[in-house]
Amino acid sequence: MVSFAGLERSTLDGLVRPGHYGRAGATGLLIEERRDLAFASVTAKRGKRFALVNAVNTAFGVALPDGPRRATRGSVTFAGTGPDQWIASADGSEAAGFANKVRARIGPFAAVSDQSDARLVLRLSGPRVCDVLAKGVPVDLHAQAFKPGDIACTVVSYINTQIDMLDDAPTYQLAAPRSMAGSFWSWLTASAAEFGYDVIAP
Amino acid sequence: MRIPCPYCGPRGNDEFIYLGDATVRRPDPQALGASDAFYEYVYLRDNPSGLHQELWYHGGGCRSWLVVTRNTRTHEISDVTFAAGGKL
Ligand SMILES: [Zn+2]
Repeated sequence: MVSFAGLERSTLDGLVRPGHYGRAGATGLLIEERRDLAFASVTAKRGKRFALVNAVNTAFGVALPDGPRRATRGSVTFAGTGPDQWIASADGSEAAGFANKVRARIGPFAAVSDQSDARLVLRLSGPRVCDVLAKGVPVDLHAQAFKPGDIACTVVSYINTQIDMLDDAPTYQLAAPRSMAGSFWSWLTASAAEFGYDVIAP
Repeated sequence: MRIPCPYCGPRGNDEFIYLGDATVRRPDPQALGASDAFYEYVYLRDNPSGLHQELWYHGGGCRSWLVVTRNTRTHEISDVTFAAGGKL
């Protein structure tokens, strides 16, 4: 079998360098690309939802969310993306071969598909992060409407995007299709320029 | 127009794709007169003034098919349910 390990690279390579951009002397937004996350989509098989909930609880210690929220135990997270659909993610030592590990543990109850190389993942924070997101995110992110642990699958600048609120700093994680990374980056940086933004080395 | 998705909450209609009448049913291709029945099923639609049950796909959100009851005169939406597991 051919190994492609030597070709691993970020979809932003050649497009982005760490540093300060936009308005001088101000950092309204911090952008950090996450390259270390593994993803797997999980879809309950017909009539197996309750068995799946039990299996995930046993295997990962996570209570599967029944709505658009995320639940984390250790380095493993399950986020609700639709009825009977979740995106599982992992970092650290769990990330290697993650989809296979998930399939081995819950395969009888769910269709599991590796999504690790399908997504651009950015972590956004900073004092103006909500002002930047307000330019493209059509979901209400006010503190009363969107809380840490909430997620939303929506459309940002015509690009399907998953937004997770990680903490009330606030820190948000945005995931967009890898093939749209250049367009997504263009929207984000154009929206952040007036506040000044720092790109943090991954 | 905003559609209250039962999974995602209220979202702008640009996240959805419209399919149309949720009440038409695919005819039995083996039945007598199937050709006429299919012609009606594929091409003929009522154009009601008032309440209309219709299918919308939330492609920009949870990727669910929804049955939306909408008033075609006011765009008021009185009911939204998942198509899956329903009576379709
Ligand atoms: Zn939805």
